[in-house]
Amino acid sequence: MADDRKLSEEKRANLISELTEEILDTAASIAEPEEDNENLANMIQDIRERLSFEVNVLLNEAVTKLSPRKALERIAEVPKRTFQRFGINFRAQHTLMFVSVIILIITGMPLKFPQLGISKFIIVDLMGGLENSTLVHRVGAVGLIIVGVWHLGYIAFSRVGRRDFFLMIPRPRDIRDFFRTLLFFFGRRASGPKFGRFSFIEKFDYWAVYWGMVIMIGSGIIMWFKEWFPKYLYDIGREAHSDEGLLATLAIVIWHFYNVHLNPDVFPMSWVWWHGKLNEDEMKHHHPLEYAEIVEAESREIIEEKDRVADTGSGDA
Amino acid sequence: MSRVAGKIAFLFFCGLISAGYWPLSVLALEKCQICHGKTDHHKVEATGRRISLYVDETILKKTVHASRECTDCHVDIVEIPHKGVQKVNCRRCHYSGNPVGAPEGELYDQYEHSVHGREVTAGNPEAPVCQDCHGGHDVFRHDLPQSKFSRENIPSTCGRCHIEIYATYRESAHGTALVAGNPDTPVCTSCHGEHNIKRPELPDSRVSAIHVSETCAECHGPKGVVAKYGIKTDRTTTFEESFHGVAQLMENMMVANCASCHGYHDIRTEADRKSSIHPDNIPQTCGKPQCHPEASARFASGKIHIDPTSEESGILYYISRGFLYLTVSVLAGLFIFIILDLVRRAREARAKR
Repeated sequence: MADDRKLSEEKRANLISELTEEILDTAASIAEPEEDNENLANMIQDIRERLSFEVNVLLNEAVTKLSPRKALERIAEVPKRTFQRFGINFRAQHTLMFVSVIILIITGMPLKFPQLGISKFIIVDLMGGLENSTLVHRVGAVGLIIVGVWHLGYIAFSRVGRRDFFLMIPRPRDIRDFFRTLLFFFGRRASGPKFGRFSFIEKFDYWAVYWGMVIMIGSGIIMWFKEWFPKYLYDIGREAHSDEGLLATLAIVIWHFYNVHLNPDVFPMSWVWWHGKLNEDEMKHHHPLEYAEIVEAESREIIEEKDRVADTGSGDA
Repeated sequence: MSRVAGKIAFLFFCGLISAGYWPLSVLALEKCQICHGKTDHHKVEATGRRISLYVDETILKKTVHASRECTDCHVDIVEIPHKGVQKVNCRRCHYSGNPVGAPEGELYDQYEHSVHGREVTAGNPEAPVCQDCHGGHDVFRHDLPQSKFSRENIPSTCGRCHIEIYATYRESAHGTALVAGNPDTPVCTSCHGEHNIKRPELPDSRVSAIHVSETCAECHGPKGVVAKYGIKTDRTTTFEESFHGVAQLMENMMVANCASCHGYHDIRTEADRKSSIHPDNIPQTCGKPQCHPEASARFASGKIHIDPTSEESGILYYISRGFLYLTVSVLAGLFIFIILDLVRRAREARAKR
């Protein structure tokens, strides 16, 4: 029995030594070809770089062919300073507004032109009848009313809103700018007028919307709660709503779409409504006076800062 | 010999045949008049109703069927006294392509799809067939005053069954005009149609919610006959432009049509105190529970059927004009501005090149 155990112990020792060797061998085989692995990794890295280079070349060629202007812009692209023109609050107002307005136009215009086939298609086939479409129109109306109230709150209580509202008020300078622009268009002047934060065009857009909101919401409420009002007020409201609706729609489709979509500078769309930013070039080009103000304020700050540092430095000494 | 016998046999055979038909071939009006020419000739139905069987020959001889024999229509009369006499079926002659030249056409076919034709088919014994409206032994052309379906007699003919409606109509603006001898005022068939009368609930009815404004427009529309009587002809166009009219165009049948406010058989003028559109009654008319239950007298004050393009509409006209000029000038300005901007861009681009 004892021999047996001894034998088995011997066997065990052998087995252990064998296993140990085996493990060490494996470890060695893993550790040894370190150089080869590095080569492989390098090779993969090389292939990757080459591939991405080729893909980039192909992509650039395609972009150059499709849109030479974009390609040039890309080449000229150097990280530039951006200016936050519109804050998140203002952009949110704009977004809610255009969503509401699109809903209102889609459900409203067919009722102005009911004889057209597309009107019937929109109201009857798309919306499933007048009861649905008028409900959707009222949803849009609530959206627009919220924007109106929100904006009034914004220009009353927000510092930025208040500042922008005062800058929006038309001044004699705007009339001068308008005529200067016309002279520039007719080639009588080498350059157009220089604008501040809001050009006369932007002021026109803003006040057009302001007027439109007052008319549309006012007349809309009269029609919504027609039972509270005399019939002639309803008639006036309906006429004004219908006519101003058309005017606003045409102004948006012709004027606003030209400025933010079809204009060669921004085609197919300006993204300012989304990020609210202008780069330095755009700032210099479209709002040179505001740009100058910002730069001046910054340099003044820097000088003041330097002075302060110099003051404190001399004080210490 | 056999030839003579054959001829005799043939003649005898012919004689037999003609003898068999003798009563039919010689049943002339005179013969029928032996009985039906007596004014008190009648029969008594199982219900006890006494039905006169008198036919006035002098009247019959003036009708459109003057040249017809009695048995041309009463084809089932072959013996005297008659047994199991059926109602005359006009379609025996009045069908497309008939050889006797009886008038026929689409109008005759429409009847089967009309409310009356459908009721007859469904077995309603009260439903009218041709002769209930056109007459039996007194069918005259519709332009003769004694015709049952002449313009002035139509309401009373229809009124024989629709008696309450007839009474309402007689008091309405249209009915009183008819009594006064107006040749343009509508009678039952002017609105409901003739052989194509349908239930008002059916969409293809002339008086259905979807079609009633078109029917009224025949007289009250832009080319309407009412202009002759100093009644405005913009009633249906102003309706079409109103929200009610637009909604109807969008297949919404809940909105008011002409009849919702004006009524139908009891249409009265605005000046009539009983009228649904008399100024005193307008709040109730607008305020029907299914329409504008919240409507107040204030809501209902003001003109209805207004046309913003007419100067009579006052402030509405000026608002509409003002917006027209504003829209045209603003859009023209913006358009010119865009064109000038594009021209400038093009010039700059050329200069750069």
